[in-house]
Order: sequence, then structure tokens, then C-alpha cells
Amino acid sequence: MRRGVRRTFFDGAAVLIFVAMIFPIYWMVSTALKPGKEILSLTPVWIPTQLNLGNFQTAIHVPFFWNDVVNSLIIVSTTVVVSIVLAFLAAASVARFGFRGRTAFVVMVIAVQMVPLNALVIPIYLLLDQVGQVDSLIGVIAYYMAVVLPFMIWTLRGFITNVPVDLEEAAMIDGATRVGAFMRIVFPLVAPGLVATAIFGFIQAWNEYIIAYVLLSSSSKQTLTIWLASFTTQHGTDWGGLMAGATLTALPVVALFIVVQRYVQGSLTAGAVKG
Amino acid sequence: MGVAGNARAGVVSRKHLEAGPSRYVIARRLLPYALIAPALLVIAGVLGYPLGMLLWISTQQYGFRELIQHQGVFIGLQNFATILTDPQFNYVVRTSLLFTVINVGLSMFMATVIALLLERVSRPVRILLSSGLVFVWATPVIPAVNLWQWMFDYEFGVVNWLLTHIGVGNYIHHNWFENPVQGFAVITIIVVWGAIPFLALTLYAGLTQVPRELVDAAEIDGARPWQVLTNVTLPIVRPLLIILFSLSTIWDFGVFNQVWVLLNARPNKDYFLISVYSFQESFRVSKYGLGAAAAVVMVAILAIVSIFYIRETIRLTAEQSQ
Amino acid sequence: MNPRKLLFSVAAAFALLATACGGTNSTSNTTGNETGTLTVWLMNGSAPQSVVDGVNADFKAKHPNVTVNVEIQQWSDVTTKLDTAFTGSTPPDIMELGNTLVAKYASVGALADITSKKGSFENSGTWLQSLTDSCTFQSKLYCVPYYAGSRAIIYRTDMFAAAGVQPPTSMDQLMTVGQALMAKYGSDPNFSALYFPGKYWYAAAPFVWDFGGDIATSSGSKWSGALNSSQAQQGLTELNTLVSKLSRADKTGDELKQDAAFAQGHIAMIVANGWEVGVITDPKSGDPTLKDKLGAFPIPSHTPGQTAPVFLGGSDLGIAAKSKNQALAREWVGLLGGTKFQSQMVTVGGVIPNTTTLVSLSTGLPAIFASAAKNSRFTPNSPNWANVESANVLQDMLVSIFTGKASIPTATSTASDKITTILNS
Repeated sequence: MRRGVRRTFFDGAAVLIFVAMIFPIYWMVSTALKPGKEILSLTPVWIPTQLNLGNFQTAIHVPFFWNDVVNSLIIVSTTVVVSIVLAFLAAASVARFGFRGRTAFVVMVIAVQMVPLNALVIPIYLLLDQVGQVDSLIGVIAYYMAVVLPFMIWTLRGFITNVPVDLEEAAMIDGATRVGAFMRIVFPLVAPGLVATAIFGFIQAWNEYIIAYVLLSSSSKQTLTIWLASFTTQHGTDWGGLMAGATLTALPVVALFIVVQRYVQGSLTAGAVKG
Repeated sequence: MGVAGNARAGVVSRKHLEAGPSRYVIARRLLPYALIAPALLVIAGVLGYPLGMLLWISTQQYGFRELIQHQGVFIGLQNFATILTDPQFNYVVRTSLLFTVINVGLSMFMATVIALLLERVSRPVRILLSSGLVFVWATPVIPAVNLWQWMFDYEFGVVNWLLTHIGVGNYIHHNWFENPVQGFAVITIIVVWGAIPFLALTLYAGLTQVPRELVDAAEIDGARPWQVLTNVTLPIVRPLLIILFSLSTIWDFGVFNQVWVLLNARPNKDYFLISVYSFQESFRVSKYGLGAAAAVVMVAILAIVSIFYIRETIRLTAEQSQ
Repeated sequence: MNPRKLLFSVAAAFALLATACGGTNSTSNTTGNETGTLTVWLMNGSAPQSVVDGVNADFKAKHPNVTVNVEIQQWSDVTTKLDTAFTGSTPPDIMELGNTLVAKYASVGALADITSKKGSFENSGTWLQSLTDSCTFQSKLYCVPYYAGSRAIIYRTDMFAAAGVQPPTSMDQLMTVGQALMAKYGSDPNFSALYFPGKYWYAAAPFVWDFGGDIATSSGSKWSGALNSSQAQQGLTELNTLVSKLSRADKTGDELKQDAAFAQGHIAMIVANGWEVGVITDPKSGDPTLKDKLGAFPIPSHTPGQTAPVFLGGSDLGIAAKSKNQALAREWVGLLGGTKFQSQMVTVGGVIPNTTTLVSLSTGLPAIFASAAKNSRFTPNSPNWANVESANVLQDMLVSIFTGKASIPTATSTASDKITTILNS
């Protein structure tokens, strides 16, 4: 009974926090549905007077929109899938093995994250220009991976070290190989961490603008972030369109999360039964 | 856990040494390097040259003309001298450090509260809150900052309207950015709001790793919730907390977009966080050498500030993998 | 020095030499048998799609084997994009450049020198002077004027009628008209007779120019900031009085939201570009019911009956020095800058064309902006001017004057010193 009351209290607090966090998002979606005069108005318009989808339609009908979607999907999926694998391997190595150069590697991983990326735009462009990867999706993927890997390695290492080594050793005494023990024991336990890290990488790459803009010039190669920037011209910004675009940009990530988080729940319960 | 575990580890490895050929041993010794090699290759391959170029340019006089000709004038450490002796630099560093401390503190506090909540709520609410967090996380930064900009707008802002109508005071035509203290408060709200989702969800993921048996055992022993938290949960997620603290510090120290977009790409000197100062005083006016030096200085300061985290982590890493 | 850098420097030097020697890779006449690809960068929103399609169709008729790729670029961070493009090995053949940016790229040899080819461009004899000036660096021509925009004052005809006033023909009258409007509507805390955001230096410049002042003057190759001259200060004093009495806009804000603000209906006048009329009445961004209630008049001079000089915004079309298709590029640019498509830019695009001969095509409200353009001035044509804009010198000066944080003599002298430093660096 007391547990129930406590849970209701927590539920209430969580819902309050949800409302506070989501309020700007609500504002974004409602702006997308408002006519021009209500968007920047002296008296706030809390609920749009008409649910007009015009902004969403215009947003989708921008030339090359679907190209942009495909390009973003290709770039980001490749970046995330390859990076998470590489990062997991590197993180496992750093977390489980002592080897010469490990400290140096860890320091490098941390130090690289401290460099402000603004400063690297021109050098990156020049590098990719030399190898002919300007205006190419591969060049962008390579850059995103290099930027996302250090953080992924750093975070995954934390999750892996949280799993006590003896769990693997117990499995090895039972006859499993080092690798087998690691995968069977550690992997399910760090799955939630993997998900959070992968989603982070996804969002970083999905919403990145300046490098994508500087590297990609052909209309057929551009990404959704460049599409978002197109709502601002020298005539000002189409706020309704921009907010519709921002909403559309965020939706795939939310969808991805909902799908993946159900999977994570599943593997967690499986792990509990085994343990 | 420690001693018995090590003993068992010793048995295992001795078994392998007795039975296996030396090739296996060599392969095993190379394994760690093989595992980090691909990641290292990508990072070094893509960022090596640009970072090197950045360091090189920081010692040059490098304007737009020099950029086109790919040739600068070597001036040694003069760029660094210019930055470090700039009277404004002092203000910029102090402001950035204060800003970082406040933002990291608030972000981590809120993230911890939310992560703990996520553990304790019913499933539908958990999905609601975590999906909401992901939505905030997924929203592209620039439109999001524009949204906040409107909410605090001089004449169109919801905040001004609300505060006036609730009766807190007359906030009609209140300019939130005239006074940098108020302006930074707004920026802090935006940065913390944007930072919470990742920190909370990652922390929550870490909390799910805490073995249920330990918590149950402590509760059976009569421990109150607060004691369970500090004695059981906290030590286990400590490494993760340190990582999140360090990441937060690195990110909050480098905050740029929020200030830049909020102030329409024309921030007043009072709002020069170090990344804004660096960008505005150099890249924007085509002084790339100065900009590179500013970036190096930024990294140096950040390294000094995070030395605590780094040492902690290296120490933890060392003792974990014995 | 590392060998790669050496290679770059040598290559760049050769490229510069090649173009300086009159272009070893361009032919004066094209035959129609050429093949290749022409890459064109146009800015988002500048040319109507029908105009671009038309130019491409005409071009294809003469050069059926040449592929033209028109790529639309975004305004956000465009200078970074241009910087990297020119630094790299494959800049586009043709690009649209904001007129204040041209000097920066011309001065480092990134743009092709087309002085000797000027006559081959239609209407080059009657190009708008300010745009031509923006294309000229050290007496050489580096681009072709594309289109222009100028400012005038948009006003609410119904509010004027209700307050019993007419569009003013002198600055003193502007003040009287404004005060009459404030008397009638000023009790509304959101009302401004003349809505003037503090950072709006494009609208402040006419006041400086009208009294005979300037932003900077040059003697030889040396620039000096001129805002602290007594004439400039006089203009700013006049503006400051107008702003303090007639405007309730954010003194530290910029003009980006002024159309949305105007559409809310609590403003009588704004200094605006011609295309802002469209933004104010567009259902997606403003209030369509205002369509019949808008009028425009040029910013009046302090001398009755004259108009104040306005800043001529706009874009030019430049050809990359590294382009391998110089002759073809010139032809394409010539088409877009020629009579046929410039007329369409006026009628369809609603902008001011690059030649005085077509200015009269403007009708209705746009015509007022076009005529205001006849008395136009440009910013100091220095390669470092872009840096002055980026350093926010003028905006900071105006804000400190309007908020009262600095007196006009102090603020202008600080700004002038900064401008002198940046322009001469």
C-alpha cells in the first residue's frame, strides 16, 4: 500500500518534469500549425486557432527534400553503426586489458574532445579536398565518425568497467572462452548504455550543420540540416516552416528510441532471469 | 570480490600458459592493440592533419590572403601573447569558468533526480518521460534556441507576458539581455534543458546495471532509501558519474551555439564565453592564426580544469583492470 | 616547410600568374561545340525558379553539350562556405556574392578579372553605379552586377489618415508626423510611430550620409573612420532624437523581427526593404489584411524636398579565377545579367535590376523603392569591410548611443578608431 502511494508521488513528479521539459517542444509544434500573425504575437496564442498543416506540406515540398532525407539517413546510420562497433571494441580493450600505451590512448581520447570543432572546419575541408572527398557523403561520414568515436569510447568504457570482472571469470571457469564470456555477460548488461551512446551519436550526426554545409554543395547530396537552414533567406526566416521542419527532423529519432527501448527492456529482463 | 577474483584469474591464466602454444600468448598480447586499432585509425586519420595544421597556424600570422596562398608568416608565440595579454581575456576566462561550474552542477543535479525518478515510476510514465526527454534531445539545436529566444523576447515573449499577468511585476518590454546576469541565467536554462536528456538517460542506464540483489539485501538489513542510495548505488555508478561530469565540463566550457543563436550572431562583449570570444575575435574577422591560438588556449585551460577527472579516471582504470 | 604546402603555394602562384597574364585557359569566342560542366552557386531565394530555368534553356540552346549545375546555397554561414571553396581546389565557376563581400575575394585574386570583357556584357554602360562600384577593386572589374535592393519607409495609410498627416518630405516633417501619430496612438504601450531597432545600421546610415558624413574615407590605400566628423554626429543626433521620441522598439535588438512586429498592427512606420512588403502581407509570416493599408515614401532628407541617400544592398555574379570555363561562364552570367532576364527579375522577383534602363519596369510600391535607389551609396569598398561588419562595430555604436550608455562624440570616436584599425589591417 505504502509502495503504491510512493509510486503515485513519483509518477506525479515525473509528469510535472515532463511538462516543464516538453513545453518548448509544444511551442515548436504549435508554431508549425499557426498562421503567420499568431507566431510572433504580442499576446501569446496558447492553442493554434486552426490546425493547419500548410507549413508541413510546404516543408516537404521543398526541392530535393527526399534526397536530403536519404542522404541524412545514409550518413548517420553508417556513422552510428560503424562507430558503435569500433567504439565498443576499443572501450572493451581499455576497460579489460592493461597494455602499454593505454594511458596515452585514454588521454588522447579525452583531449580530442576538448578541441572546439569550429576551429577545425577549414583544416578538415582542406584535408578532404586533398583526397578528393569534398562534396561526397564518405568525407562527411569519415569526419562524423572521428568526432563521435572519442566520446563513445569514453562513455562505453564507463559502462563496461561497471560490470565486475568476476562475472566473466565465473563464466570462464564454467568453460566459456574469454570472448564468449565477455559477450554473454557484459553485452546484455551494457546494452542500455550502448543504446544511450548510439542515440547520442545519432543525434550528433543527424543535427550537425556547419561541416555538412561546407563540404556538400550539390543539391542532390545535401542533408536535412541544410534543408532546415533553407527556411532562412536574406528575406528573413519562415518561422512556421522552420518549426515544421524541426519537428519533422526530430520525429525519426523519437521513433527510433521508442523502438529500441522496447528491445532494451526485453534484453534486460532476459539478463535478470539468467543472473 | 577483489582477492578471490584475482586468485581465480590467476588459476585461469596459468591453465592457459601451461597448455597453450606461444602463438596464442602473442595473439593475446596483441589483442588489446587490435581492438583499439580501427578506432585509432579513424580518429588519427581524419583529425590528425587538421589538428596538426591548427597547431601550425597558431604560430603564424594567417589572414584570408594567407589562407588562399596556403602560406603564412611565422611569428612564433605572438598570437598567444596577444590573447593572454588582452585585458578582455581575463573576464572571458572567469566568466566561462563560473558559467561551466553552474551549468555542470545544475545539469548533473537535475539529471540525477530524473534518473532516480525513472527507476521508481510506473512503466507508462517511464515511457512518457523518457520519450519526452528524447524529443528534447532530438530537436535540432538552432530551432530550439530560437524557440527559447521567442519565449524571452522583448515584446513577443511568453515569459514577459506570464510574469506580468501572474503579478510578479511589470515585465512588459523587459529586455532579458540588457543585463548580462539575467542574460546568462536565460542561457543557463537553455543549456541545462538541452543537457538533461542525455545525462539523465545515460545515468538511468547506469542505474539499471546496479544488481538488484545488493539493493534488496540492504533493504532487508533495514537500510532507509537514502542510505541505500549513498552506500550501495552511488559507489557502483561512481565511475559513470565521473565520466558524465567530465563530459559535461568539456561541453559546457565549449558552449557556443546557444549564445550565438540567442543573440542573433552579434553577441555583446559581456556575453563572450571563451568559445564565442575565440570565434568572434578571430575566425569571424578572418584572423585564422589568432583563432587557432585561441583554440589551443581553450584546450589548455580545459585540460587544467579537468585534470582532476582525468587523474581519477586513469586511477580507476588502473585499479579496475589488475 | 612541408612539401605539400610547397606544392600548394606553387600551384596557387601559377594559378594567379595565369589569370594575371590574361588567361591562358580562356578563349574569347565560343563556338557552341564545347563540352564540360559549369557549376553555378546561387543564393537561396534570390532568383525565381522560372528565371533560372529560362537562363539555362537559352544557354543550352547555344551550347547543347555543356551541363549547367545550378546549386542553391544557404545564407547561414555562407562566408565560411565561400572561404573554403576558394581555398580548395575546385571552386564553382560562377557564384552569387553579396555586394559587400566582393572586395574581400577580389583582393586575393580569387575572382577573375573581367575588365577587358566589360563591353561584352549587355547593359554594362548603364549598370547601377553602386553595384558597379562594389564590383570594382583597384580600378579593375571583378564581377557583374546582379540585382539590388534599397530601403524606404513603409507606412500605414489608415493610421496616417486617422491622425490627419501626409507622408513627410523633410526630416523635420518626419518628426512632426511621428509626434502626431504618437499623440493619437501612443497610449498603447506597444505602439511606435517609427519602429527602429537599435542595431539597424542600414537604416541609420542614411542619416549619416544625408548630413554629408560618411562611414570611412580613403586617401590612397589608407582608410580612416569618419563617423566622428561633425556632419556624421549631426546626422546621428537627429536620428537619436527621432528614435527616443517615436520608437518603442528594443534598443538593443536588430531588425530581423520588424516585419512580424509590423504585422501585429501597433506600428505606423518602419524603414524597410522593398521585399518586406511581401513579408508583412504574407499569410504565413504576417497579416494579409494589411495589403491595402500600406504605402511607402523615401527617407526624407533634412533638406526639404530631397531624399536621403540609402544603402544599396544586392548581389553580384563573380567568376572564379580558377575556373576552366571562363568564356562559357561569362556567357551564362551575361544571360542572367542581360535585359531579358533582368526584366523578369523585376516583374517576377520584385527586385531592382542591375541597369537603370529597366528600373522603370517596377510598378506599385516597388517603384518607390526603385526610385529611392537612384540616390544610393555603398559601404567603404575595402577588402576588410566584411571584417568591420563581422566585428559589429556599427551595431555596438548605435546601441550605446540609443541606450544612453555613451555620448555621441564618445561612441562615434570609438567606432571610428576601430574602423580605421580594421580597414587598414
